[in-house]
This record gives sequence, structure tokens and C-alpha cells, in this order.
Amino acid sequence: MAIAVPKRRLFGRTKRPGAAREALVGYGFVFVPMAVFLLFFIYPMGYAVYISRFDWGILGPLNSLGWKNYSSLWHDTLFRRSIKNTLEYTVWVVPAQMALGLLLAVVVNQKIRARTFFRGAFYFPSLASSAAIAAIAIYLLNVDGLFNKVFGLHKIWFYDTKTALPTIAGLNAWTTSGTMMLFYLASLQAIPTDVYEAAAIDGAGPWRTFWKITFPLLKPGHFFVAVVSIIGAMKIFDQVYIISRGTGGPDYATYTVVLDIFNTAIKDAQLGLAAAMGVVLFVVIFALTILQWAFFGRQEAA
Amino acid sequence: MSEPAAPPFAAVEELAAGEPVAVGSAGPAGIPGRATSERVQRFVAYTAMFAIALLFFVPFLWSLSTSLKPLPETANFSLLPHTWTIAGYRAALLDYNFERYMANSAILAATVTFTSVLLAALGGYAFARLRFPGRDVLFFLVLGTLMIPDQLRLVPIYRMLTIFPVTHWNLVDTYQGYWAIRMVSATALFLMRQYFLTIPRDLEEAAKLDGAGYFKTFRRVMLPLAGPALAAVAILEFQGTWNDFFWANLLLQSPQHWTAQVGLAQFTFTYRTQWNDLMAGTMVALAPVVIVYLFFQRYFVAGVASAGVKG
Repeated sequence: MAIAVPKRRLFGRTKRPGAAREALVGYGFVFVPMAVFLLFFIYPMGYAVYISRFDWGILGPLNSLGWKNYSSLWHDTLFRRSIKNTLEYTVWVVPAQMALGLLLAVVVNQKIRARTFFRGAFYFPSLASSAAIAAIAIYLLNVDGLFNKVFGLHKIWFYDTKTALPTIAGLNAWTTSGTMMLFYLASLQAIPTDVYEAAAIDGAGPWRTFWKITFPLLKPGHFFVAVVSIIGAMKIFDQVYIISRGTGGPDYATYTVVLDIFNTAIKDAQLGLAAAMGVVLFVVIFALTILQWAFFGRQEAA
Repeated sequence: MSEPAAPPFAAVEELAAGEPVAVGSAGPAGIPGRATSERVQRFVAYTAMFAIALLFFVPFLWSLSTSLKPLPETANFSLLPHTWTIAGYRAALLDYNFERYMANSAILAATVTFTSVLLAALGGYAFARLRFPGRDVLFFLVLGTLMIPDQLRLVPIYRMLTIFPVTHWNLVDTYQGYWAIRMVSATALFLMRQYFLTIPRDLEEAAKLDGAGYFKTFRRVMLPLAGPALAAVAILEFQGTWNDFFWANLLLQSPQHWTAQVGLAQFTFTYRTQWNDLMAGTMVALAPVVIVYLFFQRYFVAGVASAGVKG
């Protein structure tokens, strides 16, 4: 992250008058936020690893297990299922989100009338809470719902093991495309205009211009949106929890990793095992981000 | 969410201001023979955009219409209700207790927003302007917290709030516990710091010459200049807290503490086919953020862009 931090010796003696007072005021101003970040962000990270090494019930640690929680996760069929579901969901939703976000961004980046209106309209679903979106989806996709009526179908989208997960992926592609649009827009506007002028002089049509110029030049945008999208997808919880009433059903077809963490910690009160799952998911997301950076981002810097 | 990329501030601010931006693909004007094809192109583009916009809006409009229908009518395939009624809203608010859930959400969102803005402004000012040993290390810690995902924090936070370190308070299922973990965010602090860095130093120096102390300079000079950043942080935190399901569902367990989102989820668990009441509850839970969006769209976009740090 490129942030201009002035170069200064960390604990260098300052001879300025009032320096001690300034430092005191500075510590005073950052004290509460720093306390919050240390207590509720930094400390929990280590604490999660600590808890994950115990058989830990409601009342506290029972037995120290070393890394045994992790090895039992390896043989845990339900956890494996949740990993598989989460990855499958990610494979569905990420390309859909990116394509839709890019399409919307290109559309609202044109020199058109009412651009503000369209941008507002496309962003609108991103405003809505996950619970509201889930409620609306349950209504529109029920067997007698609007969606089935419009297309003359009688499908039970969320209650069929084959369609449940892809349907939730489609739902989230729709609701997050507005946010992806904003990220792509920022990236689109970083492309210098003279490239387009050159293309126009060469007689390139809009389709060719898009694929030969816009799309490749958007590489930093693709990288950023892909990272945001994948991380978000791996953390899917709210919608599957609400739509399946916390079961991850039908028949565990929508049982995701974070849902497994929640149920293991809260319903089964196995905090040690749940903490281990959290650590595993964090490591997977972190590794994916590094991999993406290695394949995609580094060439970018070069 | 967390990722190492910096938010595209400038571009998004320009976007928020609605200024003219680069043309994507339109051909250059003034070339003979281009006029007609351009007109056709434009027509196709507008039609496509209206179609997408409609697709994006229809689910909300359909739900709004259902919320104003009596229950038997929800089976009908009509966009407008035959009999308009607010019975669904009355049922949602009174019978299904959304009155209470909305009040809870309002209290929490207001408290979190207030403390976030205050603490982020103070901290952001200190990180941008004041010199103290270890400042850069501390700021790095702030940015580091953006990398720590919620699902990793779930178990330790739940455990910490069940038996708080040292004091042994039980803060699960209390407003205080929920507020404590959200009272200020790294995104908010980062946004404030970046904004303060753009304010010229001369103004503070003038205040200093007038004999104003650090706090007075902050309150009288810096804070009034930071309006747009304060608004962006306020909106970001309000929306985040109002829409939050993950933490509210985990921590606020008893019905009298449920927020609008938790109440709505519980509604779908139990009365899934009371469509008109359910959609009325949904509209009520959506309304505050939509209203804020309609009035402050500009700051919204700036806030989302910076939240790109967090996602």
C-alpha cells in the first residue's frame, strides 16, 4: 500500500520546544483507537491460534491437544464438504461478478445523458443489507414466485441440491456487481484518452477497441476486483445462513466454511475446533491472495 | 475483506462529483458517414442500459408492491396492488416487533457512527499531523488490522465477550459488547488521516500563532475543513452497522436485542410465506440506508471507494 510516510528516525531525540507536549497530545488522540485495534483485532489473531490448540468448551479449555484439531479437520467429512462448497461457490460467483461489474462500468463510462441516474440504479442493489436481499430472493424465487412465473418454470431454486448453491452465487453476483462497477470505473478512468484517439484514427470499431485496448489496459483493475471478489466469496455466510435457516441445506449443498465455523462454535460449543477452521480459512485466503499477486500483480509492477 | 491494494481515491472522487470522464469507445465526431451508425449505436446502448436498470430495480419494486397488498392478492401476477393497504406494515411493526428491532438498530447505528467519526477524526489528525515516537509503527498496526478477516475473529471475540479479560464481564447479548468491537474502524481512521494530509499546513500555523492549543486547532481549524471526509466516514459506518448481520446475529441473541437485520432473518425462518408482512418488514429494514443514499449519494461513493481497503 503506497502511503507517504515521512522518513524520520523512530525514537530520535527531538530538540524542538514543545515536542514532549506534542507527543503527549498525539498519544492521547490515538489511545482509544489503538486500544480497540489491539484488543479486538491484533490480540484475537493470536488468541484464535491459542484456542485452536485446545479442546475448548463453553466453560473454557478442557484439554490441550497440540495441533490435533487441525488433523481432525483433515478427516472431517463435513468440513471437507464445506471447503468444496465454498470453492465451488467461488468458481461460480467470481467470474460472474467481474464480468457484470465490468459491463456496467463500461456502460456508465460512456458519454451519455443521465449517467448519474444509471450509476445510481446499478449501484442500488449493493446498498441493500444481506438480510433484505435474502428475504427478497426467498420471495421472488419461491415456487410460485415472480421469477418462475416470468420464465414459465416451477423450480424450487433454494431447495434443490443441484440449484441451491449456483442460485445463491447468481444472487450475490447481482447484488455486488454495483460495487465491482465502482472499482472498475476508477480503473477505466485511469486509462489515458489519447490511446482511444489513436485507435479511432486507425479506424478501430468499439468492439475491437474494447478487446484490444480497454480490456488489456484494465489489468490493475482486474487484479484488484479479482482479489476483492475472491476474498468476499470465500467468506460467504449471511445469505446461506438465512436462506437455509442455518442448516446449509438442502442436504448440506450450501454448507460453507464460515457457516461451519459458526455452527461448530455456537451450536456445538466446540470453540477449539471452530478456531482451527478459522485459521485454516485465513491461511487459504492469504495463500490465494499471494498467488494472485505472484501471477498477476507482479507483472503489473514490472 | 482485506487486500493489499490502495483505494483509487482521486478517480472515485471525480466520479462522485459527476464530472466528465473519458469516453470509452465512441467514434470521433465529424467523420462523414459516421453520424447514422452512431445514432443507431446510441439507441442500442440506451435500450440496453434501460433494460439492465429495470432488471436491477424490478425485484425491489415487486417487493414494494407486495408489501402494499393484502395477503391473498400476493398470489396475483400484477405489478400494482388492486387494494392498497398498509396492513403488512402494521403487522410487521407491531405484531412481528419490527418497531423494537428498528429502535435497536437505530441506537446501535447512531452510537457506532458517532464514536467512529469522533475517534477516527482525533486519531487521523494525530497520525497526519502530530509528531510522536513510534507513530509510523502504530500506523502500520492500524493498516495491518485491515488484513485480519472477520471469520478468524469470530471465535476469539465471542470468547472474549463471554468472559472479558481481567474484568470477567459477560458482554455477549449486550449493546455495549456490540458497540465495543465496532466503536472505531481502521478504514475510518485511514480515511480521516488521508484527508487531513491534504489540508495545507498554513492554516494550523496561523492558529498556532494565535496561541491555540492542539485540541483547539483540531476543533476550530481542522474539523470544520474535514466536512466531506467526516460525512463519508459517517455514512460508511452508518451503512455498515445498519446492514450488519454477521456480528449482530452472533452477539445479540435474545429477541429484545435483535436488530432489524436479525429480526428480518428470524422472520424468514418462521413465517416464510407471509409474503406481504415479510416484504413490509424488508422495506422497513431497507428504508434508512436508501434514504441516506438518496440524500448523500456523493459521499456514499467516496466512502465505498475507501472501503475498498476493507471491501
